Amino acid sequence: MSKNIWSKMAEVDRRVLYWVMFIALAIPFISPIGLPVPVTETTKAVYDKVETLGPKNIALFSIAGGVSAWPEIAPSMVAVMRHLVKREVKIVVWGFFVDQDITLDMILTNVPELKTKYKYGEDWVYMGYIAGAETAVAQLASDVHAVFKADKYGTTIDKLPLMQRVKTAKDIDLVLTVDTGSYILYYIRHWNVGKGVPVAEIGIAMQADMIVYYPVNLVGVMIGVRGGAEYEKLIGRLADGTVRMDAINVSHILFIIAIVLANIGFIMVRRMKK
Amino acid sequence: MPYPTDPLLLSGAWASVILTLMVYSYVLFKETPLFRFAEHTYISASLAISVIVSYGTLEKNAFIPLSKGDLTYLIPVVLGVLLYTLPFRQVRWVSRYPLAFVVGVGTGLAIRGAVHAQMVAQVLAAITLPKAPQPIDWFNFFFSLIAFLTSTSYFIFTREHVGLLKIPTKLGRYMIMLALGSYFGNTILFRMAMLSGRVEEILKVFKIIPWP
Repeated sequence: MSKNIWSKMAEVDRRVLYWVMFIALAIPFISPIGLPVPVTETTKAVYDKVETLGPKNIALFSIAGGVSAWPEIAPSMVAVMRHLVKREVKIVVWGFFVDQDITLDMILTNVPELKTKYKYGEDWVYMGYIAGAETAVAQLASDVHAVFKADKYGTTIDKLPLMQRVKTAKDIDLVLTVDTGSYILYYIRHWNVGKGVPVAEIGIAMQADMIVYYPVNLVGVMIGVRGGAEYEKLIGRLADGTVRMDAINVSHILFIIAIVLANIGFIMVRRMKK
Repeated sequence: MPYPTDPLLLSGAWASVILTLMVYSYVLFKETPLFRFAEHTYISASLAISVIVSYGTLEKNAFIPLSKGDLTYLIPVVLGVLLYTLPFRQVRWVSRYPLAFVVGVGTGLAIRGAVHAQMVAQVLAAITLPKAPQPIDWFNFFFSLIAFLTSTSYFIFTREHVGLLKIPTKLGRYMIMLALGSYFGNTILFRMAMLSGRVEEILKVFKIIPWP
C-alpha cells in the first residue's frame, strides 16, 4: 500500500498537474493575495535612468517581441511608456516583429496620453517595421535616415520634426529594447559598444541573467512580469503586472511542491527496490 | 472599462478564448481534432501576417525605389530571388552566393562589437572588485570569479582533465550545470507567465473577473 503511494507521487499524470496549475492560477485573479514584490536593483536602475531624462531627451523604444509574449512583457512596456510620458521624454518607436503594430495599439490603449498629451511627429514617432535583424540595428546606429525614408503612416522623414533631431545612435539618450530574443545583443554591440548609447532591456524571464553577463554595457534589465510589477510599484501605479505576479507566485509554489513530492516519491521507490 | 459591446472586439475575445481552450485540450485531455484545428489556424494566421508585412517591406524598400530608377536596389533583389533556387537540385548551387553574402555580412557585424561586449567587458566585470562592498558582494564576487575561471577551464581540450586540471574542470562542469539549471528555471517562469495571461483572458471573457 505504502509503495503505491510513493509510486503515485513519483509518477503523477501530467494532466492532473496541468489541471491543478490551471485552477490554481485562476484563484489569485479572482481573489488577489497581494504577495510582496520587492524591487530589484536591475529594475530600479532602469527607473533611475528614465528619471534623469526630460523633455529635451529622446528615448528609443524598440519592439523586438511579439504579441505572443504579451503576458510576460506587456506590463513592463506599459509601465515604462507611462513613465516616459510622465517625464515628457520624446519617444521614437520602431521594431523588428511583424505583429508589432498590434503591440503598439495595445500600448496606445493603455497610455492614452500618447494621443492626447503628446503631439505625433514632434513628441513621438512610429517608424514601423524593419527587416534585417543585426544588419538593420547596425545600420540604424550609423544612419537612421538611410534606413527610414518615411514613418509607418507614410509621412516622409523630413516632415517629422523629431526625426530631424535623430540622425544616428548618438542622438538617442536611452535605448529601451523590448526583447524576447537576441536584439539586446545587437544593441549592445552596435549602439553601446559602438556609439556609447545607454541600453536598457525590457525582457522575458529567460533573459534574467543578461545583467550578469553584460554589467558594463547595460543600464538595467526588467525581467518579465516581475520587472513590470516592480516598475508599477516605482511609478506608483499598480496594474496588470502586480495582479499577475500573485498568479505567478502561486504557480512557483505549486512547482516547488510538485518537485519535492516527485523527488521524495522517486527516492522512496528506489529505496524500497533495494 | 466595461465589458466590450463592439461585436468585432467581442468576437475577437471569444475567438481567442475558444482557440486557447482548443490548444489546451492537448495537455488537459489528449490530442484532438480541435487542437489540430487551432494549431493550423495559428500557423496560417501568423504566416499570413508575415507575408503581408514582408511584401509591404519589399514594396517600400525595393519596388518603389526601383520604380523611381534607383538601380542599386536591384542587387539585393536579385540576391533575394537567387535564394529561391534552393528547391531545384540542378541550380541549387546558385543559392550559395546570397547565403554566403548574408553569412559574411552577419559574421562581420557580429564580430565588430562582440570582442568588446562579449569578451573584454565580461573579463573586466569578472575581475573588478565590488564597489561599497558588503559581505554578500564579496561572496558574489568570489563565487562568480571562481565560476568564470573553472567553467572556462572545462573547455580546455588540448590537455586531459587530470592532475592540476582535474578539480577545476570538475567544478567548472558543476558551475555550468548550475547556470543551465537557472536558465531552465527562468524558462519555466516564462511559460507560467504565458499561462497566467491565458487564464486571465479566459476569466475576463467569461465575466468572472472585470474587464480591464
